[in-house]
Amino acid sequence: MPQQDKQPISPDMMIGILKATMPFQVVSEPLLRRIAAIGWKTTFRAGDTLYEAGGPADDLFIVVAGKIDHELQPGVHARRPMKTLVEGDVFGWAALLEKVPNRLAKAVCTEDALVIRINGEELLKVLESDPNAGDVVMSRFATMITRDYTVPDLIAQLRGIHRKLHARDPQGMNVTLYRVSRWLKSPKPYLMLIGLSIFFGGWYLFVEVLRLPRFREMPGITTVVAEWMSPNPTYGLSIYTGEYYQHILVSIWRVTQAFFLATALGVPLGLFLGWSRKFKDLVFPVFETLRPIPILAWVPIAIVMFVATESAVIFLTFLASFFATALNTMLGVESIDESYVRAAYCLGSNERQVFLHVIVPGSLPFIFTGLQISVGVAWFSLVAAEMVSGQYGLGYVINTSYTTVKYPTIIIGMITLGAVGYVTSAMVRVAGDYMMQWRLRELAMGAN
Amino acid sequence: MSENHVPRPVVASGEIAVRGVSKSYGEAHLAREVVKDCDFTIERGKLTVMIGPSGCGKSTLIRLLAGFEMPDKGSILLDGQPITGPSRDRLVVFQETALFPWLTTWDNILYGPRARGEVTPQTLEFAEFLLNKVGLREFRHKYPTQLSGGMQRRAELARAMINNPQIMILDEPFRGLDAMTKELMWEYYANLYEESGRTNFFVTTDIDEAVFLADRMLIMTNIPTQVRAVIEVDVPRPRRLADMVTSDRANAVKMEALAILHEEAMKSFSRGSKAAADFVEAYARRSAKA
Ligand SMILES: Nc1ncnc2c1ncn2[C@@H]1O[C@H](COP(=O)(O)OP(=O)(O)O)[C@@H](O)[C@H]1O
Ligand SMILES: [Mg+2]
Repeated sequence: MPQQDKQPISPDMMIGILKATMPFQVVSEPLLRRIAAIGWKTTFRAGDTLYEAGGPADDLFIVVAGKIDHELQPGVHARRPMKTLVEGDVFGWAALLEKVPNRLAKAVCTEDALVIRINGEELLKVLESDPNAGDVVMSRFATMITRDYTVPDLIAQLRGIHRKLHARDPQGMNVTLYRVSRWLKSPKPYLMLIGLSIFFGGWYLFVEVLRLPRFREMPGITTVVAEWMSPNPTYGLSIYTGEYYQHILVSIWRVTQAFFLATALGVPLGLFLGWSRKFKDLVFPVFETLRPIPILAWVPIAIVMFVATESAVIFLTFLASFFATALNTMLGVESIDESYVRAAYCLGSNERQVFLHVIVPGSLPFIFTGLQISVGVAWFSLVAAEMVSGQYGLGYVINTSYTTVKYPTIIIGMITLGAVGYVTSAMVRVAGDYMMQWRLRELAMGAN
Repeated sequence: MSENHVPRPVVASGEIAVRGVSKSYGEAHLAREVVKDCDFTIERGKLTVMIGPSGCGKSTLIRLLAGFEMPDKGSILLDGQPITGPSRDRLVVFQETALFPWLTTWDNILYGPRARGEVTPQTLEFAEFLLNKVGLREFRHKYPTQLSGGMQRRAELARAMINNPQIMILDEPFRGLDAMTKELMWEYYANLYEESGRTNFFVTTDIDEAVFLADRMLIMTNIPTQVRAVIEVDVPRPRRLADMVTSDRANAVKMEALAILHEEAMKSFSRGSKAAADFVEAYARRSAKA
């Protein structure tokens, strides 16, 4: 085969061409740029043979202009072996096949042509560096080959690489990592930083610079931070005092107990509410009567009901979480597509199995939404609940600091509460990702 | 494993007799008859294809065959026994059936045997065999959302086949696939059927699909539906798509079926049905092309 000379091509032109092809259409700009960096251009004259079947499969080609006749050899069993390739068509994909070192087709130039060529191995390396995008490119190659030539066996091999690329199949922390990497690539983290800066900047400005009358009693951010970081805090609470951590631990322990109790009772209740019409008719009216009652309204009853204050606090923290979990779980069951249930019956499941193997996994996404809300409202309720308790907890810190006029300590308590609450809610999310690996692709497609 | 050795447990194929079945939906004067005095037999070991215009009542018949609903009148018998509810001996792949998104391809395929507590080494071997047959070996650990539409349908077929039902019932299983993938699916499916030799009932609206797959073709009237004609498609198996295109017999069957479908649509058309008007037009275009 005459080795036509490779010439460099401007990246912008190359990106424009890649974007017009089926496999690379949806690839992000930065990745296209990296692919463009390994591309060359070559011209062929009418009558030139680009390659013969059996020759080494090294480069992948893209037609920029001209015409090329492409004929798959009979052994490939393509239903449509002949195709004339024109602008935007991609060929020479044997270079990407796992077990195919040689060309499967003959390619002859029939009208002077300008083509782009990319070394297959190099392209695979670039794609491997971004498995999610690489995966998409490979599956689009497969679709293209099916559509243009109908050769099923080859698809499996192409997908073979795609599988290798995706050797990190959804497992372990991949869903979370994927979420995080996508988050980092989006403008969200920067907007978040800007938002936080505006908030703290505003606080500083209004309280300490402008000294607005409304904020006269409010401690400034510098006062709070100084107190928080001080080895000898004026009001007795900072990151150097053991008491600070004791408050945090006590609150975490209470929220944990309340959360697990709410999950253990709320999930089954929600599942049964969604599963059995009769049970729902029996229980749901009571449930909906109790659910809107604010936590503060439960305080007297809680004190009367529980002798130990600790139990009362946990009960109060538990309530709203329990309602959120049960309600979301019920919605999850109700949102399951009836056809999954029917399919399961057809395949020989009995009612118990349908419940365990269809209803439970099918409602998991909703259950985890419920659990995230649940953890959030648990912290919410905690402050109200800790008004009841005598000793420790972040809510307790906020309440007593108010009555004893330790204003900076109130703010320290509030910020700590927010931060710890955020971390626990993130943990629930990670656990959910871990249990629902099957949603990876769904997430990648932007469903959530 | 040799091609001929199929690790399949031996179960007799079934035969279904539909006798004078009627089904209506809605109450009193709002009632609408969807199936009316319908009679047909799904013969043992054959692939029977039911073809009829959209909305004529095919899926309704399938729900009756599956046992999820009962006929208002008439009876449905499996090997002489009346059908009383869903059962694994009639495996139904509904029009809207999908793989369980929370299970991998492999776990989806094994769902049935596991649910019934029937997983033996032979079952696993058969699962492996089917997985190969439908070309999804490399995808056993993928979740459905990671498969293309055609792959999902193939996995559904495997998930149904592994149960070795006495009868397989499929309601437009290849709907929504592009023409090319559809043709591939026909070959996969025809091959699976030819190897299993068990009773299959296949519902479609696509005349090419029907002619390619069928041993017997049931052509349905518009709503309320009945069997309008039965055509034996006596084209030898195994069939190849390329041969079917050039087969005189296949083309004759196709023309015959089209003529009946056309006539059927004309009747409803004259009764003022918009759907029928569309249908007449569509088929006029198709037969002009053929
Ligand atoms: N459960 C139901 N209640 C009321 N009408 C129904 C019901 N199921 C089907 N139908 C009506 O029966 C007709 C036939 O539907 P279907 O059996 O799905 O047709 P096909 O599968 O042939 O397209 C439609 O007009 C539909 O509206
Ligand atoms: Mg239907």
